[in-house]
Amino acid sequence: MTKEMQFKEIVAQYCDIAPEKMTNDMRFREDLGFSSLDFMAFLGELEDTFDLELEEQEILKVVTIEEALALLDTLDEND
Amino acid sequence: MRDYYELTAAQKMHHQWIVDYKTQQVSGVSVIASLKTELDFGLLKKCIQLEFERYGCMRIRITKPDENGEVKQYIVDRDSRDIPLKDLSGMSMQEADDLMQQWAYETFDGDDIPLCDVSMMKLPDGYNGFFIHMDHRLIDSCGLIVMINDLMQLYTHYRFGSKYPEDLTDFETVLANDLKKANSEKRFAKDKKFWDDQLDALGEPLYSDISGPSVLEEARKRHKNKKLRAADIEMKQLFVAVKDYILEPDATKNLIDFCINHQLSMTNLLLLGIRTYLSKVNNGQEDITIENFISRRSTHSEWTSGGSRTIMFPCRTVITSDTDFLSAAYEIQNMQNRIYMHSNYDPALIMAEMKKRYNTPDYTTYESCYLTYQPMTVKMDNPHVANIPQHSKWFANGAATKKMYLTVSHTAEGGMNFSYHYQTAHLEEHDMELLYYYMMRILFKGIAEPDMTIGEIMDNV
Repeated sequence: MTKEMQFKEIVAQYCDIAPEKMTNDMRFREDLGFSSLDFMAFLGELEDTFDLELEEQEILKVVTIEEALALLDTLDEND
Repeated sequence: MRDYYELTAAQKMHHQWIVDYKTQQVSGVSVIASLKTELDFGLLKKCIQLEFERYGCMRIRITKPDENGEVKQYIVDRDSRDIPLKDLSGMSMQEADDLMQQWAYETFDGDDIPLCDVSMMKLPDGYNGFFIHMDHRLIDSCGLIVMINDLMQLYTHYRFGSKYPEDLTDFETVLANDLKKANSEKRFAKDKKFWDDQLDALGEPLYSDISGPSVLEEARKRHKNKKLRAADIEMKQLFVAVKDYILEPDATKNLIDFCINHQLSMTNLLLLGIRTYLSKVNNGQEDITIENFISRRSTHSEWTSGGSRTIMFPCRTVITSDTDFLSAAYEIQNMQNRIYMHSNYDPALIMAEMKKRYNTPDYTTYESCYLTYQPMTVKMDNPHVANIPQHSKWFANGAATKKMYLTVSHTAEGGMNFSYHYQTAHLEEHDMELLYYYMMRILFKGIAEPDMTIGEIMDNV
């Protein structure tokens, strides 16, 4: 499974949209219906799954799936 | 072979209250859900019994404490009890509500026993439904709402042929996963660091009482410590009274619109209203802590597995009087977002850390106010009952572990209900009137003029 699909599988646990129907321009709050609590819990799940350390100030700027994936890529490059 | 599990942090919170206050009453949760229509009680009984099979949390048992006082939980395979039918149809609705309120005070006493009662109800004025009385270690209010809706979907499936409800997530699987996460060393270390960092940065919190600084002064005298920053918790007289205030739909809409337009959550706006009031009545105190309850339900599995997932964390902010209203709201939101990220942590450990650092006396606290924002209504969400009048109501368990516990929920008419549960040992209805009145004045002044400073708002209202 690609990292992107793995990421979307996690997103799908928090909303009613199947991973294959997600588009990268979807916004977590407006399009996927994430509450603040959902979003922060989701980030914790990402940290555990991908073994990452997310910077709180950076992640709060994330709005779309694309931005979140880009952030994950950046963190990978820095590893 | 039966599996035994430790309690989750949320369950431990309720369990510890039972131990500390020496009564299970503090952990009771009760609700009536009814419809103004005839019900097939034979069928309803079958559906309730089926719900016991579907919703594993209804079958939780808690063991006798071991020599260290530790308990475990397990889930029995079956609970094929009879479901009684209680007929209150000869009473007025007020009398029926009063009687159900008495039932809500009843306790589940014993180990390894069922901690859940369900009765079918015939109520006055043609209402029929069911009354649920449970222990909070099994379920929270969101879990109860999910259960009520699932039960009605079962009923309408068998009665009207509607779609059979989807399977609920297995409680035991989610429980095991939660405990695994909570015991992850890496996650634990991150969460602990967040909470410890806050104390490192801000030092010891400072108590703020709804009635003003005299309460802390009395505690300082009682403990002969002029520098004490925590006040005593009432441990004996736990009787609670409830005062509800309804905010009209138009005014509610203004608050919601403000939240939407400024990407704020209602919880954070309400926290700002409460903290500004506390600041106002405590001589402009800037360091304020309020306990906020979070229902940790985000994934589909968490929503549909039942269980007790509601847990409280201290929301501490230091906001100076020259901060404008909107910036103050964002400060709270920022803090709450960070708390959400670290909400796997056991809040008892935060208290233990503060006790260790500051050597606070036993049974003292830094908070007088507790908030739950409950966006879900108990109204049954089912197209077959959509046009039928409903009578649904939560009943307080009558024993408050907290000085003042505010639950804010939405009404069917589009307004908001502010339900203040307060310990009568120290507070009166008039205190709640003042709190509600000033909270509203602060909030509406703030949303009308978000550039106004907190200090100006406190002076103006």
